[in-house]
Amino acid sequence: MKTIKILHMYADMLDLYGDSGNMEILKYRCTKRGIDCVVDTYSIDSEMPDFTSYDLIYIGGGADLEQQHISEDLLKCRDGIIRAYKNGTFLFLICGGYQLMGKYYRDADGNDIKGLGLFDYYTVAPNSRRKRCIGNIVIETEITGKPVKVVGFENHGGQTQGIKTPFGKVLYGNGNCSKSEAEGYCEKNVIATYLHGPCLAKNPEISDYMIEYCMNRGDEVITPLIPIDDKLEKECRKVMVHRLLK
Amino acid sequence: MKRILILLGKIIVKLLHLMKRNAGNLPGIVLWHLTGHKCCSIFKVDCPIIAVTGTNGKTSVTNCIAQLFEKSGKKIIINREGNNLDTGICSMLLKYCDMSGKVKADYLILETDESHVPVVYSQLKLDTLVVLNFFRDQLDRNGEMETLIQKINGFCKTFEGNLILNGDDPNTARLGRANPKNTNVKYFRAEPYAFATHKIFEASEGRFCPFCGEPLEYEFYQYSHIGKFICKKCGFGNYEPYITASGIDLDKPVFTADGHTYSPKLNSIYNVYNMTAVAVAAKLYGIKQSVTEGVINNYTVKNGRMENFMLGDRKTTLNLAKNPVGANMTLRVMNEMKGEKELLFVLNDNIADGLDVSWIWDINFSIFERVTRVVTSGTRAYDIAVRIKCSGYDQSKIVVRPDLDKAVEELASTEGRKFVIANYTAVQPTRAALKRYIAKHGGKQE
Repeated sequence: MKTIKILHMYADMLDLYGDSGNMEILKYRCTKRGIDCVVDTYSIDSEMPDFTSYDLIYIGGGADLEQQHISEDLLKCRDGIIRAYKNGTFLFLICGGYQLMGKYYRDADGNDIKGLGLFDYYTVAPNSRRKRCIGNIVIETEITGKPVKVVGFENHGGQTQGIKTPFGKVLYGNGNCSKSEAEGYCEKNVIATYLHGPCLAKNPEISDYMIEYCMNRGDEVITPLIPIDDKLEKECRKVMVHRLLK
Repeated sequence: MKRILILLGKIIVKLLHLMKRNAGNLPGIVLWHLTGHKCCSIFKVDCPIIAVTGTNGKTSVTNCIAQLFEKSGKKIIINREGNNLDTGICSMLLKYCDMSGKVKADYLILETDESHVPVVYSQLKLDTLVVLNFFRDQLDRNGEMETLIQKINGFCKTFEGNLILNGDDPNTARLGRANPKNTNVKYFRAEPYAFATHKIFEASEGRFCPFCGEPLEYEFYQYSHIGKFICKKCGFGNYEPYITASGIDLDKPVFTADGHTYSPKLNSIYNVYNMTAVAVAAKLYGIKQSVTEGVINNYTVKNGRMENFMLGDRKTTLNLAKNPVGANMTLRVMNEMKGEKELLFVLNDNIADGLDVSWIWDINFSIFERVTRVVTSGTRAYDIAVRIKCSGYDQSKIVVRPDLDKAVEELASTEGRKFVIANYTAVQPTRAALKRYIAKHGGKQE
């Protein structure tokens, strides 16, 4: 039996709006299929892990204060994370985790928090702390190969720009910038998004895309996952899509 | 000018009463616009003002402190309807002031929203501020926790009155350092109760020392991040409490504070903290011990906070949970109870709840013991169903009934002990649905 190894970074500091729930959901969906799923945690001053030994690296979102706390530590992990990413490790990044992988995050006072520079995008917070993109959001992504609606909750001041391959197009809500058309950033092995809620709660296809990716890493023939009962998740999404897009 | 504003305000109050409309907020909103957003500045209050703030327990503590004075024969004014923003407080004072804006009472006891403390008390002179706790609550509406604490901290920097702080909550205790010149800071703490833990149990705020950034070390956690903490680096947390609750036994329930033993009606650890805050206020204002005992021992609530119903012959306890802390407490009470039980969880996402429901993922459902079935309801019935399912609970035992009456029927369709958790805007409709069931099928409200 194959084991999926996940590294949850800064779990104790970056956990807003149920972000840790994403780990619970991935574990749940693996367990239901008899896939072994191990989630290790890394935080400030932990021993430097071997990032390449993980199938997936996850970073959630946090308040500004917490984000400042971790940004320096994250820079120490830069080489390890880049090596893992190039080696095919999946990066799943929410909100703050998403912003910090870009070039920089400029806060409301104009101070720059240096990002890892793994991707070309950058984020600028508006001068007023009151101007935030807050609310329910529906996007449509094609990362799984066919269009899937993804429902979540966004709450971010930062406006992220310089993105060529967004995670999805916005059907309701703001996205990367206030009232923008695109949301998040993605590659084959990257999902970076502002969606909290947690992001995976009512979007089982996205969880399964990541699990399938991890299960088949480096394999020539893709073995599809066994379907599991998603009745509640799908009904949950249907209710929200109906309410927001009617 | 003030007289005209007060006259106008009073006329609006009267008109709303004549129209049988709620005058709890609207008069204040009108004056807020006319006074350049300083609607509380038109009043003249000579008596001491006591304000109570914090995420959980404001209403209980405000009511109890008011009773301390009332039972001592004092004339008090209190915002009982829970209108706790500047506009709500203004609307209430309009009813009590004379035409010059003078408010006549011995004490004003005001429940005050966390984010409105600096606003209101830059306009009215505050004698005592009681800060109970800060938890994640409706984050999207209030902004992040840190912003909120900073706001109140800013106010405390120049505040020289009594500051009563929960010394077991690092988020509130830090306010004690805001003004080093204030010699009137009083902390209250509590010794560990039977279910205190050495490991943190629920998601929470405040893991790091706000002064030096070191992780805080805990001797024990009572619930969430409430417990005996200390910063080993700068010593934050090392202060002499004014009153410490001890000998806590929630089975009886009983606890001791400042040498007096109390037997409250409510058996939760939060009630112990709330009542300890009340005991601090009583000591500070020299209330007679017999009065304090009467208030603390008799305080009970009938507003969906651990309220009991009989659905036919099935004992049912309803508890409001506005945030994970409240919900986790109810789950603990459920677990501590022997025998099988069923849970109804009603989750709404109306504006007053905060549109975001992700806080349910901070509830620790994996602790479920002998829970034989779960019914979910409310505008987000499916969200809570998915959340419980992903904690590992058997999906086939979850029934989703968005309609509340159908949900209560479903809950009552089997024998045994029942629990109901409802969030803020769900709690009154849930009570109403429980009462409709009782009216139709029998039972009683205790």
